[in-house]
Amino acid sequence: MKKYVTLKIDGAGIRAPKGSSVLDVAIEYGICIPHLCHVPNLSDIGACRLCIVENIVNGRSKITTSCTLDVQEGMVILSNTERIKKLRRNIAELLVAQAPNSRAIQDVAVRCRVKEVRYPFRNSGCVLCGRCVRVCEEMWQARAIGFVGRGKDRRVDFPFGVRPDFCKKCGSCIDLCPMTITPCDGPMKPGEEYLCGKCESQLSMASGAMEDICVWCELGKGFQCARYGHQ
Amino acid sequence: MPKVKPRVKSVKDLAELRKRLRSSAKNFKSKLTICGGTGCHASRSQDVIDAVKKELKKRKLEKSVRVRVTGCHGFCEQGPLMILEPGNIFYCGLKPEDAGEIIAETILKGEVIERLLYTDPVTSNKVQTEAEIPFYRAQDRQLLAQNRHVDPCSIEDYIAIGGYSALAKTLAEFSPEKVIEEVKISGLRGRGGGGFPTARKWAECRSAPGEEKYVICNADEGDPGAYMDRSILEGNPHLVIEGMMIGAWAIGARQGYVYVRNEYPLAVKHARIAIQQAREYGLLGDDILGGGFSFDMEICRGGGAFVCGESTALMASLEGKVGEPRPKDVHTVTDGLWHKPTTLNNVETWANVSPIISNGAAWFAGKGTRGSKGTKIFALTGRVKNTGLVEVAMGTPLRTIVFDIGGGAINGRAVKAVQTGGPSGGCLPLDRLDLPVDFDALYDAGSMVGSGGIVVMDEKTCMVDVAKYFLAFLQDESCGKCVPCRLGIDRMLEIVTDITEGRGRPEQIDLLKELADTVASASLCGLGKTAPNPVLSTLRYFPEEYEAHINEKRCPAGVCRELIEYEIDAEKCNGCGACRRACPHDAIKGKKKEAHVINSRKCQKCGICLSGCKFDSIIVT
Ligand SMILES: Cc1cc2nc3c(=O)[nH]c(=O)nc-3n(C[C@H](O)[C@H](O)[C@H](O)COP(=O)(O)O)c2cc1C
Ligand code: SF4
Ligand code: SF4
Ligand code: SF4
Ligand code: SF4
Ligand code: SF4
Ligand code: FES
Ligand code: FES
Repeated sequence: MKKYVTLKIDGAGIRAPKGSSVLDVAIEYGICIPHLCHVPNLSDIGACRLCIVENIVNGRSKITTSCTLDVQEGMVILSNTERIKKLRRNIAELLVAQAPNSRAIQDVAVRCRVKEVRYPFRNSGCVLCGRCVRVCEEMWQARAIGFVGRGKDRRVDFPFGVRPDFCKKCGSCIDLCPMTITPCDGPMKPGEEYLCGKCESQLSMASGAMEDICVWCELGKGFQCARYGHQ
Repeated sequence: MPKVKPRVKSVKDLAELRKRLRSSAKNFKSKLTICGGTGCHASRSQDVIDAVKKELKKRKLEKSVRVRVTGCHGFCEQGPLMILEPGNIFYCGLKPEDAGEIIAETILKGEVIERLLYTDPVTSNKVQTEAEIPFYRAQDRQLLAQNRHVDPCSIEDYIAIGGYSALAKTLAEFSPEKVIEEVKISGLRGRGGGGFPTARKWAECRSAPGEEKYVICNADEGDPGAYMDRSILEGNPHLVIEGMMIGAWAIGARQGYVYVRNEYPLAVKHARIAIQQAREYGLLGDDILGGGFSFDMEICRGGGAFVCGESTALMASLEGKVGEPRPKDVHTVTDGLWHKPTTLNNVETWANVSPIISNGAAWFAGKGTRGSKGTKIFALTGRVKNTGLVEVAMGTPLRTIVFDIGGGAINGRAVKAVQTGGPSGGCLPLDRLDLPVDFDALYDAGSMVGSGGIVVMDEKTCMVDVAKYFLAFLQDESCGKCVPCRLGIDRMLEIVTDITEGRGRPEQIDLLKELADTVASASLCGLGKTAPNPVLSTLRYFPEEYEAHINEKRCPAGVCRELIEYEIDAEKCNGCGACRRACPHDAIKGKKKEAHVINSRKCQKCGICLSGCKFDSIIVT
């Protein structure tokens, strides 16, 4: 028999099976916490840090990622406080400055309310979310790709830089990569460090009143967001 | 010593062994203790040791003079060091050539050789014993002082000075709960950086579900310039082992690991020998001292990255995986090594355990402040006269450490700031030096005790440059897994570099603060969470230096290359030509006995001319 716990997310009382993560439960209940490195059914590594929430323990707030946090009886979670929104915006800004031409990253950034980017653009082709690495290892047991190097030199690569025989060429790594979604027509250029705002116009017209609704982002569509059902 | 070690099967056996060892030590007429620590080693102590041994052999004195090579005594600045008994005579700055004279004069005739004594820099008097040296006088050396009495490769030395009696006492008299209670009363907090209450960690681990539990000693010590853990493990490995055994008994572990930094081969060797010896005596293994406690341990070499010192990364590395931190939403005391409850403590933390048991919790709690008890070892470095290892009671003012023990800044300059807590600590200005070294007081001031690095900075240090240096270190050492740390530190470094190179804009200060907040609040592990400290503390205490760089494009300390110019003061220059000859870039021109000039286009700002001029004529603007 499944065991359940009750908790509160943003004030809503929620009953959730023990062992599930706060992020999964929130999404299921229609509370979309922005996230990037999380993929349903794969392990969570807490790398992108976009899914941070405040976990109130004994009256004190601890900031932690909701994808790595398991639900517990009586938990009180706040996913959308001013503090969290500000931190999340700053993280998304760092990401979008790193990969300004990725549609998925732009979507997430808009969802996190990034309007302007205060850093010089870089144009890297990978944000090290590790989706590809985990799907390869966990879904296909192939381990054909992995992280190499540390810090600034960290990258995703095949062992010794060549595609190994045991790569199943399944393409899952590419399917899950946020960099591969067809870019929108407003990609950014160095010197124009702002978002074109097209995706923002998809937000509710009355954005003041419904500030935190889902933007139906491309990321969600590509990545099995609960909102899109199982299309 | 007999070849086959007698197995120590009970507390009584141990007491008898100790008695035997002590009485056989009396066979030596004199004792000669030479520091073989890393600092002294670098100043050729091995040659001194060889020379002394050769000399003793020549004079057939090997049987009556004991030569003991030990770990660090702390005063590395003056090494190689030697202490002679009887007389407790302290010699320093030794050379191999001194060996003959020492044996002939001091050992055989009891004469003190003035030349080899330490000179008190204030009174200019020669002093004979350690206790009279100002560097040692202001310290309270509970752990380091033991180094002097033990050869790290001799368990017999350790037992003779009372080693393993705390373990005996524990097994005979203390329940695990009582040990934890005792550690709790002592107020011991972790020495590895975070200052986490040790007893609480042990209690949580003890009550965590599961039969199999582990204790780990964190001897990774990645902080640049810090070497206190190394000195303890290298100089007195049994002290650490005994502490771990008591901890293991308290939490219910049967297996322990020492995770040693790869660059510490001597620490690895000594710890390995110590474990071997303890096994031979039956002090590790099954049914230790007949108390029904079984425990063994192993050594594991570190993964060679700073981040491997972080607890979850260390455990991953021990398991043979990549040493990368993982989210700690479930604590390692419940879900640690191989998903078993695990207690990880720092070397110095473990070293404090057996003295607490031997001397009582009240003794330990009697030292220090309300929230920080006992003593702490610091590595004192930077622009200070007496660099070395310093052990003081918690609560000692930083000023005492820097001025009384450290002797103040070198070259008669003024101390400007003190950086404490390693790469992710903070910089405190001179007027904050009355702060006590206390976990909470330093934290409140924007710095931390950390693992115990203290770097003294003088007026020739640029605080923006310091922030840049530490950011660059942390950027290099970040594992790169999470976004705030990997990209946030990188962007902070980008901004600070802009500032030091004259491209800084006033609004970047706010951005820097906002970034710092994000990195500190949202990073996955302690590296990212503390990385902004150097920036935040320098912004807090030295805002005028940032402003000078940004608004006036000027580096007040004359450090940031892009913002300084070398010039010759025509009034002062007498045309000696020393600078012209020294300049590797041919940037100085001038006739003999006439004022010289620097061609600013050619000058590479290397500063070589500066030290060449005896007339203080070269100025940095
Ligand atoms: C990046 C990083 C590096 C660390 N390096 C060390 C280290 O070299 N030695 C150490 O004892 N603790 C280190 N720590 C702290 C450990 O994670 C851990 O808190 C400590 O070993 C616990 O022992 P204690 O309670 O005795 O202090 C490090 C922490 C971080 C975040
Ligand atoms: S295509 Fe190859 S590398 Fe990519 S997920 Fe499949 S097996 Fe792994
Ligand atoms: S290649 Fe794509 S999926 Fe893989 S880590 Fe990089 S951004 Fe993520
Ligand atoms: S904070 Fe830095 S070191 Fe720690 S997990 Fe994140 S990237 Fe790695
Ligand atoms: S060394 Fe000093 S005094 Fe001599 S020429 Fe150079 S600036 Fe003048
Ligand atoms: S700073 Fe270096 S390059 Fe410049 S004048 Fe002096 S010695 Fe020559
Ligand atoms: S989704 Fe939780 S950290 Fe990326
Ligand atoms: S190494 Fe000899 S005193 Fe430190």
